[in-house]
Amino acid sequence: MTTPKSDLPQGTLDLLILKIVGLGPLHGYAIAQRLQQISRDVVQVPQGSLYPALHRLENRSLLVAEWKLSDTGRDAKFYRLTRKGRAFMQEETNSWHRLTAAVGLILDAAEGEPS
Amino acid sequence: MTWLGRLLRRDRVERQLDAELRDHLERLTNDYRRSGLSEREARRRARLEFGGLEQVKEECRDVRGTRWLDEIVQDLRYGFRLLRQSPAFTFVAVASLALGIGANSAIFALVDGVLLKSLPVREPQRLILLDDGSWTNPIWEQVRARQLEISDGAAAWNDVRFDLARAGATEFVEGLWTSGSFFDVLGVPAVLGRTFTVADDNRGGGPDGPVAVISYAFWQRRFGGEASVIGQTLTLDRTPFTIVGVTPPSFLGPSQGRSFDVAVPLGTQAIVRGPGHWLDDRSTWVLEIMARLKPGQTVELATSALRSVQPQIREATLPDGWPQPMLDQYLKEGLTFVGAAAGPSGFRTRYQQPLWIIMAVVAIVLLIACANIANLMLARAATRRHELTLRLALGASRFRIARQLLVESLLLASLGGVLGLLFARWGSWIIVRQLSTPRSTVVLDLTLDWRVVGFTALVAVVTALLFGVAPALRMRRVDPNDALKEQGRTFVGEGRHSIGTWLLGAQVALTLVLVVGAGLFVRTFGKLATLDIGLDKDAVLVVDVDLSQTSVDPEARHALYERVRAAAAAVPGVAGAGLSLITPVSGAGWNGPVELKDRPEVPTRERMTFLNSATPGWFATYGSRLRAGRDFDARDVDGAPAVAVANQTFIRRYVKGDPLGQIVRFERGPEGVQPVQIVGVVQDAAYRSVRDPIPPVLYLPLLQAHTKGPGRLNLSVRAASGSPVLLTRSVAAAISQVDPDLSLTFRPLAAFVDGALVRERLLAMLSGFFGGLALLLAGIGLYGMTSYSVNRRRAEIGIRMALGAHSSSVVALMFRRIAWPVGLGLVIGAALSYWASRYVTTLLYNLDARDPATFFGAAVFLCAVSAVAAWLPARRAARIDPARVLREA
Repeated sequence: MTTPKSDLPQGTLDLLILKIVGLGPLHGYAIAQRLQQISRDVVQVPQGSLYPALHRLENRSLLVAEWKLSDTGRDAKFYRLTRKGRAFMQEETNSWHRLTAAVGLILDAAEGEPS
Repeated sequence: MTWLGRLLRRDRVERQLDAELRDHLERLTNDYRRSGLSEREARRRARLEFGGLEQVKEECRDVRGTRWLDEIVQDLRYGFRLLRQSPAFTFVAVASLALGIGANSAIFALVDGVLLKSLPVREPQRLILLDDGSWTNPIWEQVRARQLEISDGAAAWNDVRFDLARAGATEFVEGLWTSGSFFDVLGVPAVLGRTFTVADDNRGGGPDGPVAVISYAFWQRRFGGEASVIGQTLTLDRTPFTIVGVTPPSFLGPSQGRSFDVAVPLGTQAIVRGPGHWLDDRSTWVLEIMARLKPGQTVELATSALRSVQPQIREATLPDGWPQPMLDQYLKEGLTFVGAAAGPSGFRTRYQQPLWIIMAVVAIVLLIACANIANLMLARAATRRHELTLRLALGASRFRIARQLLVESLLLASLGGVLGLLFARWGSWIIVRQLSTPRSTVVLDLTLDWRVVGFTALVAVVTALLFGVAPALRMRRVDPNDALKEQGRTFVGEGRHSIGTWLLGAQVALTLVLVVGAGLFVRTFGKLATLDIGLDKDAVLVVDVDLSQTSVDPEARHALYERVRAAAAAVPGVAGAGLSLITPVSGAGWNGPVELKDRPEVPTRERMTFLNSATPGWFATYGSRLRAGRDFDARDVDGAPAVAVANQTFIRRYVKGDPLGQIVRFERGPEGVQPVQIVGVVQDAAYRSVRDPIPPVLYLPLLQAHTKGPGRLNLSVRAASGSPVLLTRSVAAAISQVDPDLSLTFRPLAAFVDGALVRERLLAMLSGFFGGLALLLAGIGLYGMTSYSVNRRRAEIGIRMALGAHSSSVVALMFRRIAWPVGLGLVIGAALSYWASRYVTTLLYNLDARDPATFFGAAVFLCAVSAVAAWLPARRAARIDPARVLREA
């Protein structure tokens, strides 16, 4: 809890979830863990708010879910990326790169400018 | 999963959501525990990190997109529970809605069936009708010869009653004479067999001889729906017909309000009626002529096509024996087509206005019911205010609360609508039965189609909005803070200008309109029913004698008449009998202009007299007394001097001085001007209808100067005592002894008189019923309002009484409460009634639509009802025990 935390820009959580689930079917808790690992604790969301996002993606048919036996011996809900979800993720990733590159350019240029 | 699927599997979705989130929490807790935290601490941290379980669930539900539906389901459940909790309120509300909505649906079903529905035929909007009146068969034959120049085909028909009996007493069915093209032009196929061809319509029958097409209903009723009916023989007016086809169940005939059993081609009339047929008669105006527009043709184009051949049609069909001016008029008068998608119908013309009036009446009844329920809801909203404001304070949106109230209204209205639909089926059936008279059975297609159901649903929704909006709007103005402080002790509906007062005033106003209307119609009916028509309607049996099948020579007819009359008069229990050409109050008439020597300038129209021919004893049979001179007797036969008996109106209008012995001249159709000597004056009696003022009538001896015997005569039989209907059997036996080929139809005179008042009776009955219903509803409204006010002011009244107020002053206090809405309502209602009176003027008899006595009476009656409604709860207020109230406070 010592590292400074940032708020996630709008829509980024969805993209991160898609990316994580894209590596293989996962249940909610695992997704939360991976999110924390990958972002090295920089990005922190209350774990609960993961679920509305998951359900929203499921609603838009970017993810599908099925109940499977998990390591705890109980059924857990596993999310998997759909073909539509993969295409969407590609597109969003590209546009993210374009956007951050553009923003980075502007920020760098602004610093180089003599005031 | 679609949103609908999610909604239907709501419980499973909820369970899975719960399981998923708990699984997450559990894993999180386990991880913390494994990292060495205590059980309690692990749980606390997990919950902290996860966030509120219920909040997360709510957010997930939001994502689902079925939230609004979920909430409505919740609202519905809640609404149901509330309605179950207050059964009295629910009963009153649902019952008054069922009555109100049901009445609207019932009347709408009639309006739909009579006024709106098209004929169930192919492209009914292309059907047109030769306008205004009936036409002769020669005219039809001329139109038929040119039908394709004018349109896409034309058809003609005439309503008739056929006698199915092979001999003796009649068994009537509703029949149609139709042209061969009739079913093809209308576009009505046969469900079994075939319809007519043009060849079937040949004079004397087509290649298959005389053929008949029967209706589906008749097929079911008489032949049990057997397919073997095709080829069977049906005897119509003693002539055998071969059945060749059956029409679809939806087709009741070309005229609304009337159904048919059997249709036969016009041409077969030459066989059925023999020389008595009217196929070549140029003065028998009985046919309706319909045509079908060519594709793209308008009614105007069809009319101008018809006008271009009109001279040939008119020239070829000049009626015989008409005076020249009438012939000129005949040639000149333009023929016109009108649209006829709904078919022609005298019934529709007669009932159009009454139906719209009753439709307006039931709409007003529903409005009154709505006002009642709105008031009830307002009162309930007041007692529920605490609950609702608590919900507001807990974060429910105002919209959500208002919606909750609307959902409850819709729930009530739907319950009322469903019950109302049942009530409507029954109600419209009763009304149609009321419309039927002994002479014409009214048949309407009143099946509950989508239009009636749709109308009911629409009415229910509009109703719910009407009474649901007021409380919902009030709710929006409440500040939750204030309301919570008040602890549910405040009330609505107070003060002069509250919604409740206005609703009550509107109710009283609308009720007054209905009561005034009911008063007018009931008084009209009363006046007509007790009218002195100068005929003993309860003593006379009217026998329609059909002479078309008799073998007696036209020359020997007069002797036959006398034998028939004598045979009927000799039956035990018969006090007298007479024959006449025209049956009184049957709607039939015969008239001609009288020559006024001293005033030749008076136009024909103003010197008409009605005529009738009668035998000796006919006046006495109807109880009409002679004022002067003598009745016809054995002297007045062929070759004797022409004589007449005139009624009092005739004498007053056309004769100066002592009428007896004077000669009057009148035009008698083809026979020209005829002089007759007045030998008697008879008291005035109704001639054609009960409603018309009594016209001048000249009676001629039936046994004098009738070259061609009439096809039908009226035999009137007077019963010595008791009901004349009891004479039917013995009179029938006596006459069939004279000539078994005469076919007879028996009806008491009273049936004619009552039949003439069907419309007035219906209007009186319905307006009376709904006026009463409106009064009851308004009474309930006033009662509820006062009662509510008493409950609310219990404490105040208790204190007043403790301080010495007398119980009468408490009653007065409660009465003052309703004086304002009732007074306001009466003033507005009187103004409304005055305005609306213009729409009923033509339906009243001898009564001004702004009759002050009716207005005043209605207002007094309404005041009395209001007083009773207010007095019941006011009395309760006066009995309040001040000690108890003060202790409670």
